[in-house]
Amino acid sequence: MVIPLAWMISTSLKPDAQLLVFPPRLVTSQMTLAAYTRLFELFPMARMFFNSVIVTITATIGQLVVCSMAAYAFARIQFWGKTLLFLMFLGTLMVPLQVILTPLFIEMRILGWVNTYAGIILPTMTIRVAFGVFLLRQAFALIPRALEESAFMDGASHGTIFARIALPLVRPALATLMVLAFMDAWNSFLWPLLVVRDTNMMTLPVGLSALHGRYSTAWNMVMAGVVISVVPIIILFMSAQRYFVEGLARAGIKE
Amino acid sequence: MNYRNDRKWAVIFLTPAILLLLAFMAGPVIASFVLSLFEWDLLTPPNWVGIANFVELFRDAEFYRSLGNTLTFIIGYVPVVIAAGLVIAVMMNQALPARTLLRTAFFIPVVSSWVAVALLWKWLFNPRYGLVNYALSLLGVSGPAWLFDPNWAMPAIIITSVWKDIGFVMMILLSGLQEIPKNYHEAAAIDGAGPVRVFFSITLPLLTSTIFFVLIISLINSFQVFDQVWVMTGGGPAGATSVLVQQIYLNAARYGQMGYASALSLVLFAIILMVTVAQMRLQKRWVHSE
Amino acid sequence: MRRVFATMVLAFWAVAMVTAAGRTEEETSSVNDTEIVYYTFSASPNHLEELNEIVARFNEQENGVTVRVEAVGWDNYFTRLESQIAGGSPPDVFELNYENFVNYASKDVLLSLDSYLVADGTFDRNAYYERAIDAFEYEGTQYGLPATFSTSVLFYNKDLFDAAGLDYPDDSWTWEDALAAAQELTDRENDVWGLYSPVQFWEFYKKAEQNGGGLMGANGVTIDHARNVEALEFMVSLIDEYQVMPREQDLAGVPNEQAFLDGEIAMLVSGIWMFETFRDADFAWDIAVEPGMRRKATHYFADGLAVSSETDHPEAAWKWVNYFTSSPEMVRTRMESNWGLPVVQDLDLVEAYLEQTPPDNRQAVYDSLEYAIVPPVIERQNQMQDIIGQAIENVLLGNSGAASALADADRQVRSLIE
Repeated sequence: MVIPLAWMISTSLKPDAQLLVFPPRLVTSQMTLAAYTRLFELFPMARMFFNSVIVTITATIGQLVVCSMAAYAFARIQFWGKTLLFLMFLGTLMVPLQVILTPLFIEMRILGWVNTYAGIILPTMTIRVAFGVFLLRQAFALIPRALEESAFMDGASHGTIFARIALPLVRPALATLMVLAFMDAWNSFLWPLLVVRDTNMMTLPVGLSALHGRYSTAWNMVMAGVVISVVPIIILFMSAQRYFVEGLARAGIKE
Repeated sequence: MNYRNDRKWAVIFLTPAILLLLAFMAGPVIASFVLSLFEWDLLTPPNWVGIANFVELFRDAEFYRSLGNTLTFIIGYVPVVIAAGLVIAVMMNQALPARTLLRTAFFIPVVSSWVAVALLWKWLFNPRYGLVNYALSLLGVSGPAWLFDPNWAMPAIIITSVWKDIGFVMMILLSGLQEIPKNYHEAAAIDGAGPVRVFFSITLPLLTSTIFFVLIISLINSFQVFDQVWVMTGGGPAGATSVLVQQIYLNAARYGQMGYASALSLVLFAIILMVTVAQMRLQKRWVHSE
Repeated sequence: MRRVFATMVLAFWAVAMVTAAGRTEEETSSVNDTEIVYYTFSASPNHLEELNEIVARFNEQENGVTVRVEAVGWDNYFTRLESQIAGGSPPDVFELNYENFVNYASKDVLLSLDSYLVADGTFDRNAYYERAIDAFEYEGTQYGLPATFSTSVLFYNKDLFDAAGLDYPDDSWTWEDALAAAQELTDRENDVWGLYSPVQFWEFYKKAEQNGGGLMGANGVTIDHARNVEALEFMVSLIDEYQVMPREQDLAGVPNEQAFLDGEIAMLVSGIWMFETFRDADFAWDIAVEPGMRRKATHYFADGLAVSSETDHPEAAWKWVNYFTSSPEMVRTRMESNWGLPVVQDLDLVEAYLEQTPPDNRQAVYDSLEYAIVPPVIERQNQMQDIIGQAIENVLLGNSGAASALADADRQVRSLIE
């Protein structure tokens, strides 16, 4: 399971001449940081990293807020047309990106949002809203009725129950969604590629895609880029574990 | 019970999501459906062609082949990834030493880029020097040419996909496991049930709604399988692994046939929708609810 | 509640960052120069430094124009370009390969350069290779200027030839000669294959021409022409019948260029962009004009620059096109870094290029141009390439014979054109 990571790191440290040596070796005598140095020379890495961070954090927070609210409504509130509306939400996951991107680009141009953060972020989070709503809906649905009924008796509204009772109870699901939403936004490529028109606005995956040429690909630099982009996600995943453990302690199902 | 304000609260909670979807999804999705009635190369204005794209599509042998390949992928991938993910999630939910590290290890393939994973597995599946055929040879089996063999390329892609996605399924099931209220287990423990019985009579039923979620999402995603195919075989050898979204991608991005790509998308959408609605109907039979 | 509050603060922070960063963006781009945007794919990934160098020199010129380059990977180049054209905001200048150029020119998305060619005193048509500049003319109008071209040649491993006691390939060779040599050179015990010439669309269309066939005739599609069938059968026979050439799986996933570099392939048909990679080979190698069959034919790849018909700055765009395709600085940078060949026929510079080694026989690069052909271009070019490519793959896998696979492809391509 750890092999791909070792693999990526190893490839990123190889000099050009050893990239395709077969059979491949994880460790060679000629490890070099050249791919990383050239990456920083060729690309405004700091700027691209900054853009990725802005886009990802905003999209992740937005996703958590929007999805948890809608998911609560689907799970805990009775209203007319719920099933149909939910199906329409899910339907947005069923249309392949390839055909909606061009119309979306035209829409952005009309709005004047081409080459802006808003133009990158809002569609990026919208594309996966339905996924988050579905994930959290399943979690909210598991909350026992008894908990909210006593709150209703005390005169609490749905707003209070959502914020005080429901949200804390689905913390593991929120942590899961946070990691997945972060990962999606961080890696999102096709849409930012279309809507960005300036190197200074490029996110990491977009900027680094220039490493795949017509006649050759600079694998060591590609992997150096991948390593740089994977680290934040792994850190986030490991720190999100705290919430899993917390949830575990509360539920007390250790055998 | 106080449900008087329900409609007001439903509106409040749903508005942000609906606004986003209306603003950035509804228009483009409708536009792409409308485009299925046009011929459009992106460079010149679209041309109205009526249902010609659909007529062409249903006559196109490539459509049926890629639909067949997509279904093969789903049949091979979905049951395996869910079963394996469930087993690992239950294991990872125990008090294991270095649990965080173990979980992270399973999560690494999920965060790795498809390009890196594909390169790695291409080497593992290498017919001459790859680890897979080496392992098979130890068992006295002479391995196939995998990605170079039309019959074995799809199984190779399925194996790679399962390996990469197990961590994703595990993570979601794990969060489902954590949300099972402790009093259910306490009640079972008082009744003197053993761990296996607790799993089958308490944990599994309560986990069905999370499994249902994973099933729906995996189906929706695997109908749209593309990335791994594109980087591992490009649809080859000789179209043996060509899938539906690859046809959409090729027509939209490479052939300048946006209208035809839209028609394909609409058909794919309809197929996924039917499968999902069927699943939602069926869920009442096996998914535990309050 | 604290958590909700923290979330709101974070959200506020994010929005603030978004607006702030958006603002600095506008401030920094307020230069007096006219800024034009140029999209390119051919610099990726090995010549990005040289591209930046050429751009920097152009921007230093103070002619009122600043170029902003965006290098995009080949895989997604056209997705991006076409979406932006469809969205009505294309880059001012963009790079096009020859096949796509024809397609774009026929669709009115390119600006005619004719008036600039006449008005600009620095432009000299004779400075360009005739064949190259003609390639970027469409129906009598110059819609683009060529920037670079590459040809494919026969690379051979001199050491292996010496060991086998064989004469080196020369320009008079036919594929029969190459096959005979390959049979001598192939040594399976030591993992040496005599020959590698990829079995795919580009090699097929070329060998079809070499055999006196071709994919398109005066009367339309001729993909299943008997000469083409013969050419395809020959290509496959190198693998199946004569066993002088490896299949892809025989190379164990190693690209053929790497196998050549590892001394496992004696003769290789590949592009001249490999010079740089092969320079450090630990054996002696050289090149020759690719062998022919009934006649000689070599493929040549041309990339050129075109201006969007919707640009707001046609004058500025023209200055860049002219500079990037013919300025001496550009020519020198390209020559020195083996970054394709400039299309300018400046003899001094060509002289300097020919003196570089390896390969010794650099002259073969220019000799190849004598036989250069380009593939037929139809509106649905990519689709045609994929259809024929799949037919070839089917023959290679033994799924069908050359004649029936090409007949099938012929029928499919006909339906594309109708």
